[in-house]
Amino acid sequence: MAVKELFAQLHEIAENPRAQLDKYLAQGKKVVAVAPIYTPEEIIHSMGIVPMGVWGADLELNEAKKYFPAFISAIVQSILECGIRGDYKGVSALVVPSLCDNLMVLGQNWKYAVPDIPYVPMSYPQNRKPAYGKKFCKASYERVINDLTIATGCKYSHPALRESIKIYNEHNAVMREFAELASEAKISAVERHDVFKSAWFMLKEEHTAIVKQINEELKNGPKADETARVYVSGVLADAPQLLKVFDDNGVKIVFDDVAAESRQYRTDCPEDFQDPIDGMAQKWANMDNCSFLYDRDKKRVGMIVEQAKAHKAQGVIVLMTKFSDTEEFDFVPIKRACEKEGIQILNIEVDRQMVNYEQASTMIQAFKEMI
Amino acid sequence: MGEEVKKSRPAPDPNSAKFKLGKIAADAYTDAIAAKERGELVGWCASNFPVEIPETLGLYVCYPENQAAGIAARGGGVRLCNEAESEGYSNDICAYARISLAYLKVKDAPEQNMPQPDFVLCCNNICNCMIKWYENIAIERNIPMYLIDIPYNPDYEVSDAEVEYVREQFWDVIHSLEEYTGKKWSDEKFKEVMEYSGKASRMWIEATSQAKYIPSPFNGFDLLNHMAVMVTARGKKEAGEAMEQLLKEYKENHENGTSTFRGEEKYRIMFEGIACWPWLRVTSTGLKSRGINMVTTIYADAFGFIYDDFDGMCRAYANVPNSMNLEQSRDKRIKLCKDNHVEGLLVHTNRSCKLWSGFMPEMSRQIGEACGIPVVSFDGDQADARNFSEAQYDTRVQGLMELMEANKAGKEDK
Repeated sequence: MAVKELFAQLHEIAENPRAQLDKYLAQGKKVVAVAPIYTPEEIIHSMGIVPMGVWGADLELNEAKKYFPAFISAIVQSILECGIRGDYKGVSALVVPSLCDNLMVLGQNWKYAVPDIPYVPMSYPQNRKPAYGKKFCKASYERVINDLTIATGCKYSHPALRESIKIYNEHNAVMREFAELASEAKISAVERHDVFKSAWFMLKEEHTAIVKQINEELKNGPKADETARVYVSGVLADAPQLLKVFDDNGVKIVFDDVAAESRQYRTDCPEDFQDPIDGMAQKWANMDNCSFLYDRDKKRVGMIVEQAKAHKAQGVIVLMTKFSDTEEFDFVPIKRACEKEGIQILNIEVDRQMVNYEQASTMIQAFKEMI
Repeated sequence: MGEEVKKSRPAPDPNSAKFKLGKIAADAYTDAIAAKERGELVGWCASNFPVEIPETLGLYVCYPENQAAGIAARGGGVRLCNEAESEGYSNDICAYARISLAYLKVKDAPEQNMPQPDFVLCCNNICNCMIKWYENIAIERNIPMYLIDIPYNPDYEVSDAEVEYVREQFWDVIHSLEEYTGKKWSDEKFKEVMEYSGKASRMWIEATSQAKYIPSPFNGFDLLNHMAVMVTARGKKEAGEAMEQLLKEYKENHENGTSTFRGEEKYRIMFEGIACWPWLRVTSTGLKSRGINMVTTIYADAFGFIYDDFDGMCRAYANVPNSMNLEQSRDKRIKLCKDNHVEGLLVHTNRSCKLWSGFMPEMSRQIGEACGIPVVSFDGDQADARNFSEAQYDTRVQGLMELMEANKAGKEDK
């Protein structure tokens, strides 16, 4: 299949998660929604359940306002809005991690706003590297297994988790390869994003099969000719109109530190643990370079600078999700580090509520002139 | 023209709880400043970090949240928030954090100075924002950060797995601090600190519970000042003694039919949320002028750490108000409302605090229904004066008063 057809296929899926949900339900599968930023998808997958990402939607908030004050992230608010509207009907549970204050309050409100879809909390340790952190992480995973067993009737087994870990590790590798190839290939910001977004709505083995083909095509395809190369960081780079601004202005996204995109695929789960849940806890311990993970040394800041340089980015664009204070705190050290290295940096505030991208467009155009 | 005659305030009674509590709160800063001048290491500490650890080790610590509240109450909040925003910090970030990060840069705030930190003690049992804030302090000053991670508890009870996780971190932090500061942990000293903290907590809880009497023997705004001692010094002997004096005075007030609430107590409310420090007088007067006494707040419960042993301490710190699920948070407030004969709930929707305010609409609805009381909210901020409207506050409080009046009338009709 030609690369454009593969992109079109993923675009269709990225734009129509409901159709994917209905497809899996029609196949008799159970589907569990997984909230940002990280959840133990391998475990969910191993129980024969399809994990589907929910990162909210660009819509007007009405019902969610009865639960949240205005200063809660619109990602979280729109997840609740979708839940109340019935967009997730058919889903057996929602797994929400404890990784920021926005997510904590989502779980509490969910219980009352969407009572027909059970809330499953995933309490991650932030002191994740010591043995006691891994032990607590394992206990939290076991609690998720227990809750999902009750919610879906699906059973857990070690052999099945070992298989799912392999599937997820392969998907990680394929996605990392895609991100590298996309750095030099002729590919639009919208197409690049569709590859990442569609992953949230597909079984990973299905997604891997398509992305592998895309990667092969990209290796032999035309190279990028944009003159402006940028590195993008943030929680989401999701709005089609915003991505179009990049494409219309010939600004190429050469690599990313976006939570819904590359951050998901950096760390594999070790496969050599006797108890694969211990392997999952070790994966959590090995994860770093993310605003949502405790990091006294702010290694993420140095990583952004290094990755931007390695991919010959002339500037860093931070797509700052409004009211994501976790990201807002990191912005200052990132800005200082970029300025020290002579890398231009632009902060664009984004929101699930945005309808007008004129200002963002003007900022990106001006940024292109600067770099 | 005759000389202006000024009313002079009587000198405070040095035996009064108010004097003692004020001195303890002030000494916390002067002691830390003196320690720094002597060349000792001084830390910055999160308000719900287990004070038993620095106290037992004999470490001097200051509390940035307390400092930010003090700066905001004395009018310096916006100046420092602007300073942080000029560095690139979003004005959506917690105003305490903005003030603190700005202070790190400017190093001087006449409203409330404190020594620059040599280490930070962080605990996220009140919000995850603490981690990010303290990471930034640690990286800017290039100093050690000790984090006790207490994950938000989605269940009603604290699990054994969580207690074990917290306990292991306690020991890890204790040993790391011993290594860094050269101070040694002593089980005997810990036992003593635990007793002091327990006494201060018991006295605080009992003193605040005196609001069960009608009229209440105190104005609830007193608690907002006195709680500073529970934040900064609950592990000290003097704190327990001062709280004991506070309890004695409240009991005497009740027996004598007096109160620190001036005027007739017509209505009794619970105030929900952190105080609007920059607008303390306005928020207080708006209630007092209508005869509304804020008789209770979750602070009455928040700083009462009562436990019998090390594991009990771990469990207590994993069960502070902002780490509880909605159901337990709701039930604690319902109990406070019922015990203290509350007639209305006034909710501060605090822009600085996502965790505290993020499920407040649902929780306060449930509290209102369970207690049969009206609930009214207003928009504000714990330290950024720009996020508060006096007119809105006044209208909302008036509305609450009218609802309480209608409730009273309804009850009388029956």
